[in-house]
Amino acid sequence: MSAPTAPMNGGPATRPAGAPQPAELPAPGTAPAAAALQRRPGGRGSVARHLLGLLAVVIALVWVFPIYWMISSSFLPTNRLRTPTPTFFPVDGTLANFRAVFSDPTFAASFRVSIVVTGITLVAAILFAFLAALAVSRFRFRGRKSFIVAVLVVQMIPAEGLFISQYQMLDSWGLVNHVLGLTLVYVAAIVPFTIWMLRGFVTGIPIELEEAGMVDGLSRTGAFFRITFPLLAPGLVASGVYGFLQAWNEYTLALVVMTDPSKRTLPLWLQGLVEANRATDWGVVMAGATMIAVPVIVFFLFVQHRMTSGLVAGAVKG
Amino acid sequence: MPGQSTGRPVAAAPPSMSVAPAPAVPPRTTPVRRSRVPRLGGYALLLPATLPIAVGLGYPLVVQLIRSFQEYGLAQQFGRAAEWVGIDNYVALLTDGYVWTVIARSVAFCLANAALTMAIGMALAVLMSRVGRAARITLQVAMLLAWGTPVLATMTVWQWLFDSQYGVINWLLAEPFGMSGMRYHSWLIEPLSFYGVATVIVVWMSVPFVVFTVYAGLLQVPGETLEAAQLDGASEWKRFWLVVIPMVRPVLFVVALLQIIWDLRVFTQIYVLQRAGAPTRETHLLGTYIYSLAKEFSMAGAMATIMLVLTLALTAFYIRRMLREEEL
Amino acid sequence: MRIVRKAAVLAIGALALTACSNGTAEEPGDDAPATADADTEITLWLNGGDTNDELRQYLIDTFAAETGATLVIEEQDWNGLVPRLQTALTSAEQTPDVVEIGNTQAPTFTNAGAFADLTELYAELGGETLLQGFVEAGSVGDQVFALPYYSGARAVFYNKDVFAAAGVEVPTTLEEFTQAAITLQQANPNGVANFSGFWFPGQDWYNGLPWIWEHGGELAVQEGDQWAGALSSPESQEGLTEIQRLFTEGTNAPRDADSNEPWVPFNNGEAAMFSAPTWARWSIDLPECNKGVAADDTSDAANALRAEQQACNESKTGIFPLPGMEAGTPATVFAGGSNIAIPTMSENQELAQELLRIIFSDDYQTMLAQNGLIPANTDLASALGDDVYAQAALAAALDAKLTPPAERWADVEGERLLEDFFQQVASGADIADAAATTDQLIADTLN
Repeated sequence: MSAPTAPMNGGPATRPAGAPQPAELPAPGTAPAAAALQRRPGGRGSVARHLLGLLAVVIALVWVFPIYWMISSSFLPTNRLRTPTPTFFPVDGTLANFRAVFSDPTFAASFRVSIVVTGITLVAAILFAFLAALAVSRFRFRGRKSFIVAVLVVQMIPAEGLFISQYQMLDSWGLVNHVLGLTLVYVAAIVPFTIWMLRGFVTGIPIELEEAGMVDGLSRTGAFFRITFPLLAPGLVASGVYGFLQAWNEYTLALVVMTDPSKRTLPLWLQGLVEANRATDWGVVMAGATMIAVPVIVFFLFVQHRMTSGLVAGAVKG
Repeated sequence: MPGQSTGRPVAAAPPSMSVAPAPAVPPRTTPVRRSRVPRLGGYALLLPATLPIAVGLGYPLVVQLIRSFQEYGLAQQFGRAAEWVGIDNYVALLTDGYVWTVIARSVAFCLANAALTMAIGMALAVLMSRVGRAARITLQVAMLLAWGTPVLATMTVWQWLFDSQYGVINWLLAEPFGMSGMRYHSWLIEPLSFYGVATVIVVWMSVPFVVFTVYAGLLQVPGETLEAAQLDGASEWKRFWLVVIPMVRPVLFVVALLQIIWDLRVFTQIYVLQRAGAPTRETHLLGTYIYSLAKEFSMAGAMATIMLVLTLALTAFYIRRMLREEEL
Repeated sequence: MRIVRKAAVLAIGALALTACSNGTAEEPGDDAPATADADTEITLWLNGGDTNDELRQYLIDTFAAETGATLVIEEQDWNGLVPRLQTALTSAEQTPDVVEIGNTQAPTFTNAGAFADLTELYAELGGETLLQGFVEAGSVGDQVFALPYYSGARAVFYNKDVFAAAGVEVPTTLEEFTQAAITLQQANPNGVANFSGFWFPGQDWYNGLPWIWEHGGELAVQEGDQWAGALSSPESQEGLTEIQRLFTEGTNAPRDADSNEPWVPFNNGEAAMFSAPTWARWSIDLPECNKGVAADDTSDAANALRAEQQACNESKTGIFPLPGMEAGTPATVFAGGSNIAIPTMSENQELAQELLRIIFSDDYQTMLAQNGLIPANTDLASALGDDVYAQAALAAALDAKLTPPAERWADVEGERLLEDFFQQVASGADIADAAATTDQLIADTLN
């Protein structure tokens, strides 16, 4: 089954040539505080900055240690993972665990399922949340406030036991073992978060820009899609990151919805490596987890810059 | 980062999976134009979002609520008639002393973790805004990695790190640091120590979201304001507290609110650590306790309702304040 | 822009599909087939890889030959099996037609009405010759719903060199076993740090059960229609006293660990004995035997080295069934294994019963035994062979016992009451107090 990939891959490219870049947004303040905080005179400040920089790097190293341990373990045979003296550097490591992952045909199959589910979820969730965010920030109507509060409250309800009724619902519609079924419950889970987020971004874009476009002969819809929409790219990317992680890593719903072994998502595949009635090859599990993390990390690094600016736009403008 | 290793539905996202900063300051540039749009337009735009929420989340939640007033377990799923029991499930839970213990523990754990996460997150955000590009990117990448790696893997690694026999932490304490008494220390056996370990892991996973959001907020404070304050002779410390903090306060509000919501229902980390060898009954928090009731579906539903009330009680102040500031 | 629009169409399309799929969900063809053809499919869920490819192929081929219909085998993971069964078995659309289920999970689903009544088939499929503990787990009153599939038993693995160096013989009674563990730990012939005579982590209640059972105790007993925890009985208390002695003097395993991967300390030389299902033989990997073959190397040379390594490991490792109170008798140990049943919701009951006939045929039962699993039909267990592993497994299995067949026993395990209890015993708690508290919790959960 084919499906669109994550929308943010096409994010930057979708901006029409004539549309203003996000940087051209009339911002309330010009120089950000962070820059101002850094602009401090005197050599003493510079030394302090280097010391702070060192501190930041040390903290980063401490923070990343568990991830380092995962990657390091993925290069070791399982019998060297838990020994009286830990192996800190896999200098004589092996690629066998990674070869095992890549030669497992179910890895590729699960990868495809995950991409499809994540892709559809992301597109649908972002689009729906975006429209809702537009409604609550650009329109005024009865029930608007209730809607916003409801969206927040929905996130507060513990959902540990919810999978049973969600399953019954999907089953009655014949959507079990179906990408769309899983997507539906994912979208439902992700949209409330995303509405809250996008609402800030939409509100942050002055409606005057659209009005100017309409003066130039665009229809209202045209003005919106040609002018406002591209400005939201960072916001959409930022929301996309949350949605991506959510759908990419979800386990419980996938577990009950995708029972057909050929329709497993990556988290199910990874969990499947953890054996119950024989020894688990933890080196392979770590290699598998690393391979699952790679797309996430690549995606993160790829959008990192945009996400930061996206968060900025939504954060204080409201 | 839903708990894929353990089983929590996507909706119950742990701290790191999060909503972005919600807007919090009244819009300055965008008065709502009520005359320009047709009244029904707003509803039409809400429809696509409302439909999946209502169907995929709202309906199951209503079913869960209804069943919390029934006797509904595995046998009912296989067709035995569900009997109405009124508020019996609620009475059974709320008269059980153990439930109150779990509630008290959860609230304490939640407040401690949310506070710690906020403090560390804000400190790192400020640090990030004050260091050079290379150091900043290094810190950002580290945060991103902690945030985005599958929980099954990170939790397994954390288990290995704190393992009594082969744990890296015990080894480090005993060998290079010479604390030989710690060589085979059991980190998970005492509830307090267990919660300490859990806090380390929860904070480790939650801080990245706070750092990124607050850092973004800091970037947004207009430089002119700060410079003006500087010209007025305000010290750096004063500028931070009196100028920067008030301006990012709305962001801090939202982030803190979300941390409280997520930390109150923390599940994955506790569940995995319990199975790594902790005494279960002495370490249950609300999330794991509800899960252990999941075969008794009606009880779990009642517990979920109680938890919603609890969350609302804990956050009502924030929510009211946020709504007020938002000119809703 | 175009991308976005396409996405919108797709998303809305998805929604539309969601909305109207109600009508298309009822697929034809699942009506009970009087005459089956190859288009008729039934599904069998097997868990993990214990039923290997050879066994699966046999089932598929035989089923096709005997019924003309198609058998689809879907492998499920043991992890997360319960939520899956909890949902899938309630759906006529999705339910497998025959399902394998863990023996400790069987009473819960049986009592909930998840399985079809097999009482009429019971005698035909083997009756009294089937593993009775498993039959009991799958029964309500006189009706049988879930039958045994296979069993696995625990046996004790030991390091022959360490035994010799410490001057310890293979114990022949339970008392001797405890003494052997203590002697080994004190001797610690290789001077290993934190050495354990017997690897016995604090939450490992599966391996502690034999002491309770051998002294005549129980975990829980049925009194009328109520269940009561039985850890406080004098018999259980005797066994628990021995268990605490073993925890205190015979092991240095962490109190905050469970029975997972006991071969790791054994391989590291930190334990002289551990108890595990007999398949653990494949996980023994002593450093002195390791040939360093890459896991994915399938060349002949690599396979030869692997065989050499395995032979070396097995020559240095002994195995014996945990001895009982009397010399020469095996202890009653915990039986692992699984049951097999036909879900009530299956619309192919007759074909599913055909499949059960194949599974319980002498041919298939013999094949199970030849593959190292203790078959449901105890008459055919001799096919296990006569190597030490088979013998140890068989001796242990024939006398093995299951957890109490209470409807809600799975909840006791879900709440980890026994893990907590054993941990208290390992931590030196007063056994009588801890048992009284846990008995109460067990009773609350079971009733």
